Amino acid sequence: MTNATIQEIEGIDDYWGPAFRSIYEGEGHEAFVQQLDERIKQHDKEIEKLCNFHYQGFIDSIRELLQVRSHAEELHAEISNVDANVKDTTDSLCAKAEELIRARRVELNIAATIEKMELCLPLLTTYSKLKSQVEAKRYYPALKTLEQLEHVLLPRVGPYKWCAQISTDIPRLRQAIQDASMADLRDFLENIRKLSPQVGAMALKQTQDMLGRSLASIVKNKKEGISARESTGPQCPHELVDFSPLHRCLHIHSVLGAKNDFIQYYRAQRKQQARLVLIPASVNLHDSIQGVKNYLNAVLGFFILEEHLLSAGAGLVSKDWLLDMWGMSVTKVASTLRTNTSLITDPTLMLSIKHQIVLFINTLKCYGLPTDPLPMLLQEMAEHYTEVLMQRWVVVFRDILDNASFVPIEVENQDQYDEVMDTFPYDGEELETQPFPRKFPFSSSVPAVYVQVKEFIYAWLKYSAGLGLCGARRAAAARQSASLLLSRSFTGCLSALFRRPLPLMQLVQIIVDTQYLEGATLCLYEFISNITGSELVTTQTAGSMFQAARDDAEQQICDKLEKKVDEFLDLENYDWLLVEPTGQASSFVTDMLSYLSGVLTSLEQLPERARVAAVRAATNRIATRLRNLLLDPAVKQISSGALDQLNLDVIQCEQFAAGEPVPGLKEGELLEHFASLRQLLDLITGWDWSSYLHDIGIDGGKYSLVTPRDAAMLLEKLKEAEQKSSVFSVLKKNERDRRKLLDTVLKQLKQLQNQDGS
Amino acid sequence: MAKTYDYLFKLLLIGDSGVGKTSILFRFSEDAFNISFISTIGIDFKIRTIDLDGKKVKLQIWDTAGQERFRTITTAYYRGSMGIMLVYDVTNEKSFENIKNWIRNIEENASADVEKMILGNKCDLEAKRQVSKERGEQLAVEYQIKFIETSAKDSLNVESAFYTLARDIKAKMEKKQEASNPAGARTGGHQLRNEPQRKPTSWLSRCSLL
Ligand SMILES: Nc1nc2c(ncn2[C@@H]2O[C@H](COP(=O)(O)OP(=O)(O)OP(=O)(O)O)[C@@H](O)[C@H]2O)c(=O)[nH]1
Ligand SMILES: [Mg+2]
Repeated sequence: MTNATIQEIEGIDDYWGPAFRSIYEGEGHEAFVQQLDERIKQHDKEIEKLCNFHYQGFIDSIRELLQVRSHAEELHAEISNVDANVKDTTDSLCAKAEELIRARRVELNIAATIEKMELCLPLLTTYSKLKSQVEAKRYYPALKTLEQLEHVLLPRVGPYKWCAQISTDIPRLRQAIQDASMADLRDFLENIRKLSPQVGAMALKQTQDMLGRSLASIVKNKKEGISARESTGPQCPHELVDFSPLHRCLHIHSVLGAKNDFIQYYRAQRKQQARLVLIPASVNLHDSIQGVKNYLNAVLGFFILEEHLLSAGAGLVSKDWLLDMWGMSVTKVASTLRTNTSLITDPTLMLSIKHQIVLFINTLKCYGLPTDPLPMLLQEMAEHYTEVLMQRWVVVFRDILDNASFVPIEVENQDQYDEVMDTFPYDGEELETQPFPRKFPFSSSVPAVYVQVKEFIYAWLKYSAGLGLCGARRAAAARQSASLLLSRSFTGCLSALFRRPLPLMQLVQIIVDTQYLEGATLCLYEFISNITGSELVTTQTAGSMFQAARDDAEQQICDKLEKKVDEFLDLENYDWLLVEPTGQASSFVTDMLSYLSGVLTSLEQLPERARVAAVRAATNRIATRLRNLLLDPAVKQISSGALDQLNLDVIQCEQFAAGEPVPGLKEGELLEHFASLRQLLDLITGWDWSSYLHDIGIDGGKYSLVTPRDAAMLLEKLKEAEQKSSVFSVLKKNERDRRKLLDTVLKQLKQLQNQDGS
Repeated sequence: MAKTYDYLFKLLLIGDSGVGKTSILFRFSEDAFNISFISTIGIDFKIRTIDLDGKKVKLQIWDTAGQERFRTITTAYYRGSMGIMLVYDVTNEKSFENIKNWIRNIEENASADVEKMILGNKCDLEAKRQVSKERGEQLAVEYQIKFIETSAKDSLNVESAFYTLARDIKAKMEKKQEASNPAGARTGGHQLRNEPQRKPTSWLSRCSLL
C-alpha cells in the first residue's frame, strides 16, 4: 500500500486530490511520510550523483565563458571602430544625397515654371500690345486685343494674382479707351468747326466756277489745270475734313455696344455746334461782306459735312434729322440776314451780299438742301436795295439840283453839241441847222439827271442779275423802279428845291426841264428793254410824272410875281389931297408894268397854262391892291385930283391887261380883274348915282360889282377931302348942289347898307 | 395914311457876269450868301429900307445880268437910276479892265448926275487876287468915283457901300432941293414928287422886253 500512492502522485501531475484523500482517510500516514522521506533521500542522492557528474563540464564552461567575454569585448571595440569609420564616410554622402535631392527638386520646379511661363507669355505680349495700341490711340484694335485678352488668354493662364489684376484692369482700360475715343471725337468736332468755313468756301467757289463756266474758261482751266491737278488737294469740299476719327469712334462705340448712345451724343453735339454757327461771329454783318461770307461759309460748311455723313451712310446722320436741323437753321439764317441787311445803306455791299446769297442758294441746291425761305429774302432785299439806291440817288439829284444854274445849255461848237446829243435824247433837227453858239431849250441838269437815271437803272439791274428772272419781268420791275425814282425821289428833290427862293427864270427853266425829262422817259424804257433784252412794252405814258412839281413851280412863279407886285405897290406914294393930277401915270405903276411885261415875255418857254396862271395872279394882285388902296380905312380923305391920278394909273394897268401880255388868254379876261375897281371909279368920277341906285339889286347892271358899302366909303372920303379943301372958301351954286346930292346919296347908301345888314 | 418912307432911291448894279452883283444884293437884302452861281437872267430888283439921319430911305436896287446877251435889256434901266454900283471881281483881271467899258456905258445911257461907286468884290479871296486894292483906288481917283473893296461872302463893306451911295444921293438931292426951294419947308412924303421929272414918260416904259 504507501508505495503505490507515491507512484500515483508522481504519475499524476495535477489530479492529486483523490490520492491525498486516500492517504488522509486510510491509516498508513506514517508509512507514507517514511516512504516520502525515503523518496526524498533517494532523490537527494540522485541529485548529488548528477551534480558530481556534471561539475567538470560546468567549470570548463565557465572558463570558456570567461574567455568569450574578453573576445566579445575585443570584438566590440573593433566593431565600434568600424562603425565610426562608416559613420564618417556616410555623413558627406548623405549631404550630397540631400543636395542632389534638392537640385532635382529645383530642376523640376524650373521646368514646371517654364512651362507655366510659356503659357503666360502670349497674355503678357498681348497685354503690352494693348498698352501700346492704347498709347498709339489705335483704340479699335486695342479693343479687339482687349477682347482676346479677356476671353481667350486670361482663362487659359490660370488664377494668378497678376492675372486677377489684369482682369480687374480690363473694365478700366475699356473705359479709358472709351474716354479717349470720346476725347478724339471732341477733337474731331473742334476740328470740323474750324474747317467747316473752309468747306463752305470751297463749295461756294465750286458753285461759282460751275456757274461761270463757259467753253473758253473750261478750255483754259483744262490747260492750266493739268499741272495743277497733279498736285491735287481735295477735290470735294468734304475731303478737307478727315472723318476717320469719327468713324473710329463710331466703331469703338459699336464694339462697346454703345452705338446708339454715341449717335445721340454726336447729334446733340452737332446741334449745339449748329446753334453756335448760326450766331454770326462778327456782331454786325452789315459792316462788311467778309462777315457775311464767313457766316454763310460756316453754315454751308456745317451742313455739307452733315450731308456727306448722311450719304456716307454710317447711320450717324439720318435724313430726317438733317432736314429738321436744316429747316431750323435756314430760317435762322434768313432772319439773321434780314435783320442785318435791313440796316445796310451801301448798295455795293447789298449787291455783294445778294451775290453771296445767290451763290449760297445754288450751292444748297447742289447738295439737295431746300432753299426756302431764302428766295423770299432776296425779294425783300431787292426792295430794300431799291430803297437804298433811291436814297443814294436822292443825294445825287440833290447835288445836281443844288449846283444847277437852270439856264439853257449853250454850246459853242460841234463837240459840245455832240456831247449833249450823246447824253440826252433830243430831237435836234431844228438846232442842227443853226449857227454856233446853239442853245438847247433845257438846262444842263436835264442830261445830268437823265444820265443818273440810267446809272440808277444799271445799278438797279445789277441786283436782279443772276436771280433767274426773265427779261420781261426784270424790265417791268426796272421800269417801275425808274419811274418811282423820278416820280418820288426826283420830285422830292424838286420840292425841296422850291423851298428855297429861286429866281423866276430858274423856276421857269425847271418847269421846262421837267417836260424834257418826262419826254425822255420813253427813251429810258427803251434803254431798259435793250439792256434786259426784252420787248419794249409801251405802258401808259409817264406824262404827268412831274406835274406836282410843276404845279409847285407854277405856284412859286405866281407867288413871286405877286410878291413883286406887292413890292412895287409898297412904293406907292399917293398924295390923297392932290389938287391937280400930273397927267402922267405914277412911276411905280409904269415901272411895275414894264417889269411885268418884261418878265412875262421871258416866260415864253413856259407852258401856256403856267403863263396864263402867272399873268392872272399878277393882274389880280394889282387890281386887288389898287382897290384896297382906295378903300383903305387909314386913308380918310381922297381928293378928286388924287382919284383922277389913281384912275390914270388904273387905266395904265387896264391897258396892260387888255394888251394880252401872254397868249392863250380868253378875250378880255384879264380886264375882269379890274372890273369892280373900274365900276367903282366910273361911278364916283362919273357921278352916276342915279343909274347906280336904279340898278341896284339887278344882275348885270352897270355897277353891279359895287356894293353900297364900298360906294359909301369912297364917297365919305371924297366928302372929307372936299370939306377940307373948301373950309375957308365960299361954295359956288353947283358945288352946293353937288354937296347936297352927295349927302343924299350917302344917306341912301347907308340905308341900303342897313337893309343888307352889311 | 403915314408914308412908309421918306425917300425912294433907285439903284443899279452893273458889272461883268460872275463878279458877284447878285451876291452883293443878296447879302444886302437878305444878309445871306450862296456859294453856287446862278447867273442872272435879264433883270431883277430887291427893296430894302434903311435909316439915314432919321429918314426912312427905301432903296429899290436893280440887279442886272452881266452877260453880254442881256445888254440891251439892262441898259434900258440906266436912265431912271439915281445911283449905280460898278462891280468888279478882284480875282478877275478882265472884270476890272471892263469897268472902263461899264463907265462908258453909264456915260452914254444914264443921266449925267447919277451917283456912281466902284466895288472890288470877293476881297476875301486874297490868295486868288489879281487886282490890287491900289489899282482899284487909282482907277477910282481917275474917274472921281468912290471906291470900296467888298466881300459878299464875308459880309465885308456891303452895308457901308450901299449906305455911302445912298447918303451921297440924299446929299445931292437935298442940295438940289435947297437950291430950288431955299425955304426948305418940307414934309415927309413930298420929296419924291418934288424931284424934277426929266422925261415926260417913265424911264421904264420904254423897255418892252427884259
Ligand atoms: N468868295 C467869294 N465869292 C463870291 C463873292 N461874291 C460872289 N461870289 C461868288 O461868285 C459867283 C458869282 O456870283 P453872282 O453874284 O451870281 O454873280 P453876278 O455878278 O450876279 O453874275 P451875273 O448874274 O451873271 O451877272 C457865285 O458863285 C458867288 O458865290 C465874294 O464876295 N466872295
Ligand atoms: Mg447876277
